[in-house]
Amino acid sequence: MNQFSIVGKDVPRNDARAKATGSAIYTDDVKLPGMLYGQILRSPFPHARILHIDTSQAASLPGVRCVMTGEDTPKVKYGNWRLFPETQDEYPLAIDKVRFIGDEVAAVAAVDPDIAQEALSLIKVEYEELPGVFDVDAAIKEGAPIIHDYCPSNISVNRKIKYGDIDKAFAESDYVREDTFHVHAVSHAYLEPCAAVAQCDLDGRITLWTSTQVPYIIQCLLASTLQMRENDIRIIKPFVGGGFGGKMELRTWEFCAAFMAKKTGRPVKFTLTREEEFLTGRRRHPMTIHSKVGFKKDGTLTAKDLKIYLDGGAYNAMGPTATFLCGNFGAMLYRYPSYRFHGQHVYTNKPPASAMRGFGAPQSIFATETQMSLAAEELGLDPLDIRLKNAQVSGDTIPDVATISSCGFIEALNKVAEMSDWREKRKTLPKGRGIGIGCYSFISGGVFNWFNTQYPFSAAEVRAFDDGTAHLLTMAADIGQGCDTVLKQILAEAFGLTMEDIRITSADTAITPQADLGAWGSRLTLMNGNAVLDAANKIKAQLFGAVSARFNLNVIHEIECKDGKVYPKGRPDRSLSFGEAVAMAQKINRGEPLVARGYYTPRNKGLVTPSFSFGAQVAEVEVDQATGVVQVQKFWTAHDCGTAINPMAVEGQLEGSIQMGLGYALSEQFVMEGGKTLNTNFLDYKMPSSMDVPPSEVVHIETYEPEGPMGAKEAGEGLAIPTAPAIADAVCHATGYRCKDLPITPEKILRAKRDR
Amino acid sequence: MSLSHFDHYAPATLEEVFSLLQSKGPGARVMAGGTDLLLKIRHGALKPKYIIGLKNIRGLKTISFDASAGLTIGATALLAEVARHPDIVKHYPTIAQAARGTANPQIRNMGTVIGNLCNASPAADNAPTLLAMDAQIRIRGPEGERVLPLDQFFKGPGVTALVPLEIVTAVHVPAPPPNTGTAYLSLSARGKMDCTAVGVATMVTMTGKTCAGVRLFVGACGPVPLRAPKAEDILRGQELTEEVVEKAGTQASAESRPISDMRASGDYRTEMVAVLTRRVLREAHHRALAC
Ligand SMILES: Cc1cc2nc3c(=O)[nH]c(=O)nc-3n(C[C@H](O)[C@H](O)[C@H](O)COP(=O)(O)OP(=O)(O)OC[C@H]3O[C@@H](n4cnc5c(N)ncnc54)[C@H](O)[C@@H]3O)c2cc1C
Repeated sequence: MNQFSIVGKDVPRNDARAKATGSAIYTDDVKLPGMLYGQILRSPFPHARILHIDTSQAASLPGVRCVMTGEDTPKVKYGNWRLFPETQDEYPLAIDKVRFIGDEVAAVAAVDPDIAQEALSLIKVEYEELPGVFDVDAAIKEGAPIIHDYCPSNISVNRKIKYGDIDKAFAESDYVREDTFHVHAVSHAYLEPCAAVAQCDLDGRITLWTSTQVPYIIQCLLASTLQMRENDIRIIKPFVGGGFGGKMELRTWEFCAAFMAKKTGRPVKFTLTREEEFLTGRRRHPMTIHSKVGFKKDGTLTAKDLKIYLDGGAYNAMGPTATFLCGNFGAMLYRYPSYRFHGQHVYTNKPPASAMRGFGAPQSIFATETQMSLAAEELGLDPLDIRLKNAQVSGDTIPDVATISSCGFIEALNKVAEMSDWREKRKTLPKGRGIGIGCYSFISGGVFNWFNTQYPFSAAEVRAFDDGTAHLLTMAADIGQGCDTVLKQILAEAFGLTMEDIRITSADTAITPQADLGAWGSRLTLMNGNAVLDAANKIKAQLFGAVSARFNLNVIHEIECKDGKVYPKGRPDRSLSFGEAVAMAQKINRGEPLVARGYYTPRNKGLVTPSFSFGAQVAEVEVDQATGVVQVQKFWTAHDCGTAINPMAVEGQLEGSIQMGLGYALSEQFVMEGGKTLNTNFLDYKMPSSMDVPPSEVVHIETYEPEGPMGAKEAGEGLAIPTAPAIADAVCHATGYRCKDLPITPEKILRAKRDR
Repeated sequence: MSLSHFDHYAPATLEEVFSLLQSKGPGARVMAGGTDLLLKIRHGALKPKYIIGLKNIRGLKTISFDASAGLTIGATALLAEVARHPDIVKHYPTIAQAARGTANPQIRNMGTVIGNLCNASPAADNAPTLLAMDAQIRIRGPEGERVLPLDQFFKGPGVTALVPLEIVTAVHVPAPPPNTGTAYLSLSARGKMDCTAVGVATMVTMTGKTCAGVRLFVGACGPVPLRAPKAEDILRGQELTEEVVEKAGTQASAESRPISDMRASGDYRTEMVAVLTRRVLREAHHRALAC
């Protein structure tokens, strides 16, 4: 049915050569004549009132061109949830208070970075220290210090979901269990620290090069915070060295670069250090998860009651979305006839948590998966069987939320069991070795318009030329995940051209069509892919008209683009080359170039997403009984991403996901004391290196997603979910230690052994 | 933070090094591979005005081996060179292993074993084995050379027995007696490439079934790599039965003085000293019997 020429092939990535040869230009590589270097002064206190700031000494240091504080700005709050302005709680620079160690207080621009650094030390800030709260329990206690005046409870977001008669369902269950899980914060640890360069032209218009996942969101929020018109701001995304959710909001340095460029007339650059990133950067939400599940004797699920507290840090950032999604994901994977969720997003005096690969799902599904394995144990079932019994299938609905279209979950479970020799190993592995399973489901982009965009969710412009080439323009942001390549593949497939025939210009808000919500929620392949196809189809209609006229074809012919030609199906003798067809269509339109725009906005697709990915992963581990050190020996993964447009790119996502999941499960954590992050470098922030990543095998389960471009859905974030629960389950199989609070450390394993 | 400003010198002779050290005063600092030094400068912990690179000095890179005189590793011999040197791999396998287990290929191609020692981190991966093998450190100053047992070289975290104007030119490891085995094991939180949270090295010499000589050193569990003399006492003159090895582990653990930090808790370290001590003893014992 699906005979593709380029889609489904391991096409080398668009950016591979530039990155491998070092010629890729990242934001920090942008150097403009007369450019100034910016630095940020940050709060040394987790919670304090700013009484007074004296910048005079800093401003008079030779070489300093601009010093700014919150007082100099228009004092407009911002945040990504524009649809609910009360959630917008951040200023570019602190106005009244600082709320975490690292909160931005002032900024300096100078002719070189050392002078800027020195100037920071000359800014005198008088603080009145306030008591701080550093975890959810302390923050929601009666009489806890209030972090934002507008929010006396410190609970900034409440989200509830409910369906089915849950009390009745529990009452009728044969087996009910309740568990509490704690999951911790981890860093995106993208290899390119955040950076931005702003330039202001003589008409006062701003151009900002920035390391971002969301050019359009930056354009809008920068306009509102600077009180400028959107069209007077141009955002250009150069090569980006990873984002993982950590670069999807307007940030202080972007604002300050633009503000100071306007003020000084000179370009201004900010580049964060790794220490700043670790000390103050966004991170994955720590959560406290109370989960109660009911079963029938045979393992059939009856009900789930899920209560989650998200430790949001000092500002909302993308916390509201994480609060929604962890609740949605609580109801995924398995069929819960009744379900209740209450999510609460809590302010604490720590660096804000935000979106991070999986966006609430790694936390929520860690609890789901661990609890499924616990229940299996108690009910005397194989963990695989309890999953097979309850697995969601195509056509299942989650009332008021979503209907599952394509779903290869059961196939994935069976496949991963076969690949890993699950049944045999689960019985025969000796003590100290273990095998465990983790599953996932994820969204292919969100449908909830919290940003309140006035444009379609995704857009593409396609221009076709009589030399047989095409130019694709899109605001979609390739941040290393490879959407430039995948979108080119989709267009090349639609036009019957080669990758070399397609030119792409992406993520420049002044040039690429309005608009695109950005690279997050694993949305680009499906949403932007659909926009590209929409544009391609409009062009194809014109090409088909030209071919039809040229060969005087009967109107009932189907026409296709293939192998560089346009011809009636089954009659390749009556073909024009793609370029000839374009030339003819152009003649028909009296020279007008062949250009089309395509759009995609998910409509009538429930509250969450147009389509879900699914998958299962098995980890085999060896645990040193005396030291508690866990070695993962191997991973097996079977997953359903619909059509894998570029299987090699999907495998890249899997490898990166495994590396992240490995760190989440075993080694990465922020060591914090009184709101201060102590491990601010890669020596002590234990991100696994390439040497730590075990071998892995993968099978793509073939499904075809009707809502996706050429059958595709997501493969970006979902894969980051199963690794931690799979490792935790394997560690339990090997040692009997059941982890309910990540990460799994040697000390916890040994303690559990002693306690037994 | 950007690098502070300094002048860089790359002299070709030791005489030039000493005259530079003398003329530039306390603002001068010698550098081998710079893999520790530049990080410290970058983080503002050190602000030298002058850096004197040692890598151009002829002869300082030499690794030499003689069956009776033993092994000499020159000050600028790279970790990578030590890791794969055929004589070291053959006659001092644990020294090669420790060098190979340090950092990653890039760092091993820049950094040196001597730099690892001079940096005097309690967690330095090359120290415990060299200590266990009774290495001596060769020190040169404007006045001439002195030789110090390595176990008198470390004075505290980042502090050595070097006095101003002195540099280390080499480390010398005597030829091990017959029927000797060595072993080094370390643990860290991340896995393959990481700063060591606990490390234990030993050298065991057997006469027949009895342990005739033993040296046992623990890294990252005190201000300097620590010797465990009472654990050694338990072993010396004994058959290395499981029971004796078990006891020695417990004793070594009692002799260590680890702190709790980000890398591991003190309790975990203490417990691991016992585990690793037993493991290195078994391994070294096994090797001693095999030769
Ligand atoms: C990514 C990374 C990973 C690492 N992993 C490990 C690891 O796993 N295990 C480990 O033990 N270390 C590790 N290190 C630390 C480091 O690589 C070693 O300590 C290295 O051996 C130092 O050697 P160098 O030649 O680079 O020393 P340098 O940085 O040049 O010098 C270190 C110090 O010694 C002084 N010095 C150097 N040579 C002499 C001399 N001849 N006489 C007197 N003083 C001298 C210098 O002034 C300086 O104070 C790692 C470092 C990095 C950056």
